[in-house]
Amino acid sequence: MTAARPALPDRHPSEAPPPAVMTAAATAAGPRAVAALDGVVVAYRDRVVLRGVDLAIAAGERVALVGPNGAGKSTLLRVLAGLVTPSSGTVTLGGDPVATLDRPAIARRLAAVPGQVTFPFSARVEEIVALGRLPHEDPFRGPRAADRAAVDAAIARVGIERLRGRDARELSLGERQLVLVALAVAQAAPLLVLDEPTVHLDLRHQVAVMELLADLNEQGGTTVLAVLHDLALARHFFPRLAVLDGGRIVADGPPDRVLSRERVRAVFGVDVALTGGPPGR
Amino acid sequence: MTIGGRTLALARLRGRRPAGRLHPAALAVVGLAALAAAVVLGVGAGSVALAPGDTLGILLRAAGLPLEQTWSAAAETIVLELRLPRVLTAVVVGGGLAVAGATFQGLLRNPLADPYVLGTASGAALGAAIAVLIPVRVALLDLGLLNALAFAGGLAAVAVVYRLGRGGPLAPLTGLLLTGYAVGSLLAAGLAMTMYLSGANLRQIFAFLLGGLEGSSWLRLAMTLPLVVGGSLAILARARALNGLLLGEEAAAHLGVDVRRERGILLGLATLVTAAAVAISGLIGFVGLVAPHLVRLAVGPNARHVLPLAAILGAVLLVCADLVARLLGEIPVGVVTAVIGAPFFLALLRTARGGYEL
Amino acid sequence: MHLPPPWRARALPLTLVTIAALALAACSAGAAPPSSPGAVPTTSIAPAATDTPAPETTASPSPAPAFPLTLTDDEGAVVVLPARPERIVSLTPATTEILFAVGAGPRVIATTDFDDYPPEAVPLPDVASFQGVDVEKIVGLEADLVVAGGNSFNSPDAIARLRSLGIPVLVVYAPDVATVLEDIELVAAAAGEGAAGAALASAMRAEIEAIAAAVAAGGGDRPRVFYELDATKEIYGPADGSFIVEMIRLAGGTAITTGSPTVFSIPLETLLTADPEVIVLGDAAYGVTAEQVAARPGWGGMTAVRDGAIRPVDDVVVTRPGPRLVEGLRALALAIDPTAQLPPAPAPSVAP
Repeated sequence: MTAARPALPDRHPSEAPPPAVMTAAATAAGPRAVAALDGVVVAYRDRVVLRGVDLAIAAGERVALVGPNGAGKSTLLRVLAGLVTPSSGTVTLGGDPVATLDRPAIARRLAAVPGQVTFPFSARVEEIVALGRLPHEDPFRGPRAADRAAVDAAIARVGIERLRGRDARELSLGERQLVLVALAVAQAAPLLVLDEPTVHLDLRHQVAVMELLADLNEQGGTTVLAVLHDLALARHFFPRLAVLDGGRIVADGPPDRVLSRERVRAVFGVDVALTGGPPGR
Repeated sequence: MTIGGRTLALARLRGRRPAGRLHPAALAVVGLAALAAAVVLGVGAGSVALAPGDTLGILLRAAGLPLEQTWSAAAETIVLELRLPRVLTAVVVGGGLAVAGATFQGLLRNPLADPYVLGTASGAALGAAIAVLIPVRVALLDLGLLNALAFAGGLAAVAVVYRLGRGGPLAPLTGLLLTGYAVGSLLAAGLAMTMYLSGANLRQIFAFLLGGLEGSSWLRLAMTLPLVVGGSLAILARARALNGLLLGEEAAAHLGVDVRRERGILLGLATLVTAAAVAISGLIGFVGLVAPHLVRLAVGPNARHVLPLAAILGAVLLVCADLVARLLGEIPVGVVTAVIGAPFFLALLRTARGGYEL
Repeated sequence: MHLPPPWRARALPLTLVTIAALALAACSAGAAPPSSPGAVPTTSIAPAATDTPAPETTASPSPAPAFPLTLTDDEGAVVVLPARPERIVSLTPATTEILFAVGAGPRVIATTDFDDYPPEAVPLPDVASFQGVDVEKIVGLEADLVVAGGNSFNSPDAIARLRSLGIPVLVVYAPDVATVLEDIELVAAAAGEGAAGAALASAMRAEIEAIAAAVAAGGGDRPRVFYELDATKEIYGPADGSFIVEMIRLAGGTAITTGSPTVFSIPLETLLTADPEVIVLGDAAYGVTAEQVAARPGWGGMTAVRDGAIRPVDDVVVTRPGPRLVEGLRALALAIDPTAQLPPAPAPSVAP
């Protein structure tokens, strides 16, 4: 089932140097964008992390959020998930402001795959994946047949059948990441958000995760937003990149346009030319 | 029977593979049977030897069966007024401590947490010590000043820890744990001072600190039962939130758990259960730590299974420990649980796989 | 889980019936122990529940029966004894001695495991130890009177437990000599030996007054006396206002105290400044001798050590609030002044 993906408009805001408040983004993606940030400012007592972020994600998109360390990428994700309240600006999920949604409602619209997770107790893989059904479970009776079926489907979808019955603490980092993705898949939310899912992974697992995301997006219609530090991976696997620098989106569009050599030098402070095939293998 | 069951659990522990998970319902049935056996054993044994037939007869007649009374009034008093309330109190206290321990372990994501980790023990002990110092003898419904102040002290300590531990630069869990440690130490110093000033009443305070079920009576049980059972059921109803916290507070939030609210509610309920248990039985250690731990090893971390099974196991453990304490000449039951629990726990740590990630 | 019905609600009517039946039996048997009216000042004799008997024709003058009896113990609790207790449990060594001294010994069925006097009491079953009171055993022995020690000597919880099960518990606590004598009468009355108790108490009172008068009249001033309880680590002596202070005063000395009613230790400097003229070794039973004391570093400066006035006593008789207290007073008086002229000890009192 492939959701119709809207073509990226030519007037997509991108190369304009900061600061440029861009409200066109929200309008471009449509009023019921899966997720949208509009002029979001996040300021703490001593510093400002996000200085007016505009980002809109339509259903079925696959977006990578890149930027140097400290740019505010993780904060952006947390704002989206309603964990951080912006000082100004609006955040919407599925068209509704996050501030009006309670946590279970948010959980049904957004599934987040955490980057680093520790397991204080030993738990089997399928028990971890089953946690993804929490927002759907009956609070008293617990998981029902539909929930169990969803868990099985998620495990199959992510391709970790061979890990069934294993203690999650004994898995390699790459395998753990896949388990956490399966958890998010089981959650069956329209938007999947990942925060640096490929940290510490070897190349094989990095590629596996990226291909899985592409598969979920293209075959399953899940909207994906991933924070990545690896530009090469982002460029290769994601048709749309948003560059966050100094608390603002300074570029947003296809990798070729966004990751030009000048842009990379300006944002990341290093002079490299990124090569590789176009997105969508 | 229960000792054999524990050995069996240990054996399973050593050769454990995650595939060897036990079915929770089966384990519950076995546990309840063990509990019934332990209760009968506990009621049948004591410093006065009673014929087992008499004991059984007394129990059945009390339950309503029309039996002839072939035993002395003293025997009936011993069984029904002394032993039965005591054993049932052990069931309630053991179960409550285990549930509270399981909750704290899940809340704090720390398998080494026990019901006293946030200062309940020190607060209750200080409350009890102050009560002993006050030269007023009050007793309302079999509960004296000691019980009341122990209860209040336990609750107050955790309330203080909660207020102080929130906010601040540290992550909420770390903040809670460290504040609990600091407040607990302060209260312990207060306790030491109070004990120093207590003079002849030192024994009473010590007896409380070491834990004991000698003062058990039907009235006390009736007062504590609703708090412990009600609190435990309320925690069980929130098992979903506890499960969500398995991967951390942020992951739980993403899964739809209102973390701040649930943390406060679960903390409050678990502390209520602990304080109620401590108020009538003093500080009994290890039950709240070992029971949930063992159960988790057998059935996994799902709170819906862990909470009730831990309650059953905790009850069995305490009934047996109290029986041993009685037969060894009324040594404090906290000593028995420590003597059994500590080496057991060490064995657990040695055979545990992969260490503990916190 | 079905909880059994509240037992107290069921037991109460049962107990009332039992009391009535026992009272009936006691009165009809007419076996009231002889007691001289007014000899038991701390008790009030409740009227019999049934008809009063009229045993005027018997040989011994028998007044109104002593039971059922209502007493107030030393902690203010009201103790009701429906009949003369036949199965008495004593939870302190002092009360054991009292019971045996007033003739209730044959009816004592259990004591503590640290009772040591009289010899007949030692082999009795133990229902209490330093760890506490075995309530279950007491119930199993079907005791009808328990005599316990106040001020937390016996666990207040255990006392409350026993009372809640319908067993009368008489709690005694004597912080001074006068109360010891009152307690002797109280315990004796509870055991149904009121006359013997009154006689013993008045005899002891007379002897104590005689000894006190004798040492006071002996001339000379009261020496400063330090009663050593223990000196293995810190020095422990009498606290202000404690029992020993009074005993020393009665025995003709002035007690050196710790300076506070709640502190039992005294620093060496304070003791040196107080300069005892006599050191009485209350810890002599633990092997402490005069030579050892004299050899302690720093103690040589005390008058008592220079004069060699370090004398042992049996701590038990000096401090135990029981019938042998007079012996203790004698021993203490002689330890303070070996040349004291004390009135001769009367012939050993025979229990009626």
